[in-house]
Amino acid sequence: MVKVDKLVKNYGDFRLDISMEIPDGTVTGIAGKNGAGKSTTIKAILGLIKPDEGHVTINGKEASMLTGKEKESIGAALSDSGFSSYLRIEDVICILRKMYPTFDEDFFRKNCVLQRLAFDKRIKDFSTGMRAKLRVLAAISHKSELLIMDEPTAGLDVEARNEILDMFRQYLLDNEKRSILLSSHISSDLEGLCDDIYLIHDGKIVLHEDTDTILSNYAVLKIDDDTYEKLDKSYILGTKKEHFGYACFTSEKQFYAENYQGIVIEKGNIDDLILMMTGGR
Amino acid sequence: MFGLIEKDLRLTFARKQTLLIFFIMALVMGISMDGSFIVGYLTMLAAVISIGTISYDEYDNGFAFLMTLPFGRKTYVREKYLFCLIMSTAAWCIGAVLYFIGNTVRRSGVNMVEELPMLIALIPVMYLSSALMIPIQLKYGSEKSRIALFILFGCIAVLIFGAKTFFSSMENPITELIQTIENLSPTVILLTVITVCALASGVSYMLSIRIMGKKEF
Repeated sequence: MVKVDKLVKNYGDFRLDISMEIPDGTVTGIAGKNGAGKSTTIKAILGLIKPDEGHVTINGKEASMLTGKEKESIGAALSDSGFSSYLRIEDVICILRKMYPTFDEDFFRKNCVLQRLAFDKRIKDFSTGMRAKLRVLAAISHKSELLIMDEPTAGLDVEARNEILDMFRQYLLDNEKRSILLSSHISSDLEGLCDDIYLIHDGKIVLHEDTDTILSNYAVLKIDDDTYEKLDKSYILGTKKEHFGYACFTSEKQFYAENYQGIVIEKGNIDDLILMMTGGR
Repeated sequence: MFGLIEKDLRLTFARKQTLLIFFIMALVMGISMDGSFIVGYLTMLAAVISIGTISYDEYDNGFAFLMTLPFGRKTYVREKYLFCLIMSTAAWCIGAVLYFIGNTVRRSGVNMVEELPMLIALIPVMYLSSALMIPIQLKYGSEKSRIALFILFGCIAVLIFGAKTFFSSMENPITELIQTIENLSPTVILLTVITVCALASGVSYMLSIRIMGKKEF
């Protein structure tokens, strides 16, 4: 269980101020625009930065105080950091073997072959997709119970992204107690994998909801100016002025479907969520 | 810890060509120059190369990922000091063997056993110089640490020059000290050097732990 309790971190004008929980056996997503505070949150959870206020605990222990042994149960992949690019996969295997007693070398080698990662090539000669796959493989190959992934699919094409998401699915299938914390600004990645999603904007959590609820109850209402004036706005989370009138984001699609005949209701997705909750009026 | 040593060894030997060039240079200089130059040169070189692994860790924001691996910040620092010691000692052994072979081939008549304490003293002295560089490298990073080292060595040079000028203008107590040291047995000198270097390295280690503890990635 990961608990982020009133975490505050200041960087000049930017202030991250959040609380969140990742229970065992769940896949939690962090969505948000670039610069919203996703990576800062991940870094705080990994103990890479020190909170100015508040606490981050993993299984009840302060994240920055975790021992090497305790860190063995965590697998991490960061978008902008990995093994030295001067190393080859053969080197990485030898290092991981010594670092993690639970390192599954057969699994790692097999998956490197499947993902077409050359063993004798330096990482610096790998493509962006190959590097991303290697980062994820290194994180999941030591039977960790918690995966913390910062933008693991950023900058990848659809095929590479799907391959990485499949790796996560396989990782979860192997043990149902495993948890993943995943940050991404690619909505389809989060929709297809996460049980619940935190939406961060300007360093604050603006929404926390189950993914199923977002996909079933949330919607975008497209209405003209007159209808907008008469609309019951109790369940409207965000509004955006459009050329036809207004686009309103709601968490109660059914309410508006039943009470406002004839308005256009588009099924909500995480992209709408991000746009309407962070960019709308 | 072993994983970190493995990583550093692999990063070091990733530069096989550079290492080979350094080794050939050492061989050429060792053959062409008399004395124990080759031993000191190789030991110093190994220490510098060991410190270079911090730059590799830092390169491409690598520190952030490295610190998610299963070890603490203290272990990282401890490993760097240990790795430097292992590398310096290994290089010293190679240098000593080459020196011995050189002396045997040249039939220079140098008594290796008599020279051994002074040769061994090279390890703590060279190690100390690298130990002093570790906190600077951790604090300022590979780019800024070059400037920091330049300033540090500049200050040391000024201090030495200043002390020389100061003592030459008065009755020199240093001469007496040097004479006392010369009268000491090589073993005592060696033990003193080891003790002083160990203490200074200890201070450097504590400083590095503090710097690493405060670092954010």
